[in-house]
Amino acid sequence: MNDGQIPTSEKSKVGHSSLKRLDDWRIRLRTSEGMQKSRMLIFGRHFNDGWLFKLAIYIILSAAALLYLNPVVYMLTTSLKHGTDLVNPMIQWIPSKLEWSNYASAIIGLHYWKSLIQTGWISIAASLLQMGSCAIAGYGFARMRIPGKSVFFFIVLLTFLIPPQTLSIPLYVLYSKLGWLNTPLPLLVPGLFAQGLKGAIFIIIFRQFFATLPKELEESARMDGAGPLKTFWRIMLPLARPALLIVFLFSFVWHWNDYYEPALYLKNGDFTLLAQSMQFLQGNLNSAAATGSSMGGSYFSLNESITMAAAFLIIAPPLIVYMFAQRYFVEGIERTGIVE
Amino acid sequence: MSRMNMGTLMTKEDHARHRRMQSLKDALRGYLFLLPWMIGIVMFVAYPLIYSFFISFHKVGVKIDGSGLKYDFVGMTNYKHAFVVDNVFPIEMFLFMREVILVVPITVIFALLISIMLNQKFKGRMLYRAVFFLPVIFASGQVLLELFNQGQGSLPLVERYNLTDVIYDVLPLTAAGTVVDLLSKFVIILWFSGVQIILFLAAFQTISKTIYEAAQIDGATPWESFWKITFPAISPFIILNLIYTLVEQSSNPFNPIISHILENTTDANTGYGYASALGWIYFAFIMLPILALVFIARRQSKKTEATR
Repeated sequence: MNDGQIPTSEKSKVGHSSLKRLDDWRIRLRTSEGMQKSRMLIFGRHFNDGWLFKLAIYIILSAAALLYLNPVVYMLTTSLKHGTDLVNPMIQWIPSKLEWSNYASAIIGLHYWKSLIQTGWISIAASLLQMGSCAIAGYGFARMRIPGKSVFFFIVLLTFLIPPQTLSIPLYVLYSKLGWLNTPLPLLVPGLFAQGLKGAIFIIIFRQFFATLPKELEESARMDGAGPLKTFWRIMLPLARPALLIVFLFSFVWHWNDYYEPALYLKNGDFTLLAQSMQFLQGNLNSAAATGSSMGGSYFSLNESITMAAAFLIIAPPLIVYMFAQRYFVEGIERTGIVE
Repeated sequence: MSRMNMGTLMTKEDHARHRRMQSLKDALRGYLFLLPWMIGIVMFVAYPLIYSFFISFHKVGVKIDGSGLKYDFVGMTNYKHAFVVDNVFPIEMFLFMREVILVVPITVIFALLISIMLNQKFKGRMLYRAVFFLPVIFASGQVLLELFNQGQGSLPLVERYNLTDVIYDVLPLTAAGTVVDLLSKFVIILWFSGVQIILFLAAFQTISKTIYEAAQIDGATPWESFWKITFPAISPFIILNLIYTLVEQSSNPFNPIISHILENTTDANTGYGYASALGWIYFAFIMLPILALVFIARRQSKKTEATR
């Protein structure tokens, strides 16, 4: 602060005009300690650690987050609106009365409990299979001395790029020959062989993760006379727990949301997954209305509220998983070292 | 094992043979680990690829006695049909490519901006991270379509200020159509940036803090150090994210080509052969930009190696 005082005193010596005095006052203000401090707080030492910058970040991020969440909030509020609220222009967000019967209709229309159980076990089984097989392949790619390994790994990268649409017709023919159509097998068996939904990504994740572990682990295991399978099972796999968890979570969510493959391979209605069940909403509600005496008539008028309730019911289970495992999703990729 | 114990008594030839045996054993062990993946690749990727390539040159029908499929060779007819006879596919392909050219950069730039902000130190950034990753959790095809049908994909701004009319006034008709179309599902487009944001955030962690400190001491502003340090370091990830976004877009629920291919699969006139040809044309169109990006990435990495 001293070097700030010197020019001030010099200036006061030089002139007494009011303009000079103002200037003088300004300089003193700028150099005073309190001002310096608050300047520091507002603008920061390097600009990006000051209040102003943080405030700007909060505003921009909040605006973007609002934009992001707007449809979700709409989904939630609309799902609780009564039919009259939908057409009432006064009611935009908050329903006049919570209409829980929308959810009851959606549960009937989706065959919710049956589909939930089917989707649940298929997603869990498929992601467990994929997790296991991709871990084995990823370990092979990371640690094994294999002739032509780089070529094989290039193929893994290629499989990521092939659009599923190019493969789906031959697979459809193959599955129909094997008699797998309308069974869960087309969704499960590719996972067993490290393929399936985005399998290439999971192999890459595991490869990167295993590559970060120290080589001494396997060497000492080999000294103790453990074979490669035993080393993998007993030592490397338990260490890969973070990667296993991340792959499982991603695989689960992607299987849950996958719509293309079930739509192709599960066509007749008795085995439906939630991701595809939205299209059966009207039909199911009609037949429920025809048989059930409570609703009467054979046509059920499906409104936006019920569709939104159904949409929310479909995404609710992965949302619950995300609430508990949010940390692993968001930090996971950093932790597996995939980007190194 | 007994040979190894003899140690000093081993001749040179023995040693070489032993080594060869060892590497053979290693290779076999390695293949053991890759075996499931190899079976998978043959069954679920290689075989379908070859088969689909084969039938794309054939007209596939059912044998008269119904015992199986019969294949009549038709040469390039299916491929020609896609562009000459089919009056839906070329238009949809063109619209799709034009949309992808806009959507992919928008997604990646948005992801980059958000991740730069999320990378700053402030309270509650984990909460924001969670919010921006959230769409990955519920990006389920039909749910997205339903939200879009109810008009929830568009920016609230667009409706309030009637931007659609403005766009139609300012831009030529075809361009305006695309822009309006994009705006009507803009939020849903942004929703496909969750994984990219996470990848960028992870990329930022690979840059050591000491470089920034050194730059600061030398008087570089944050703006300068972003362009001089951060940007070169993450540019491979920008390309990675561009490729990822492209691949994700190709299986997007809004993609009209997917449904067109599926329709043709069950169509008696066109059938599997034609649908397979469409699949290959589609694949080629997706691969073009990806190959271009890979080429750029290659050149870039060579350049950085040269300067080092």
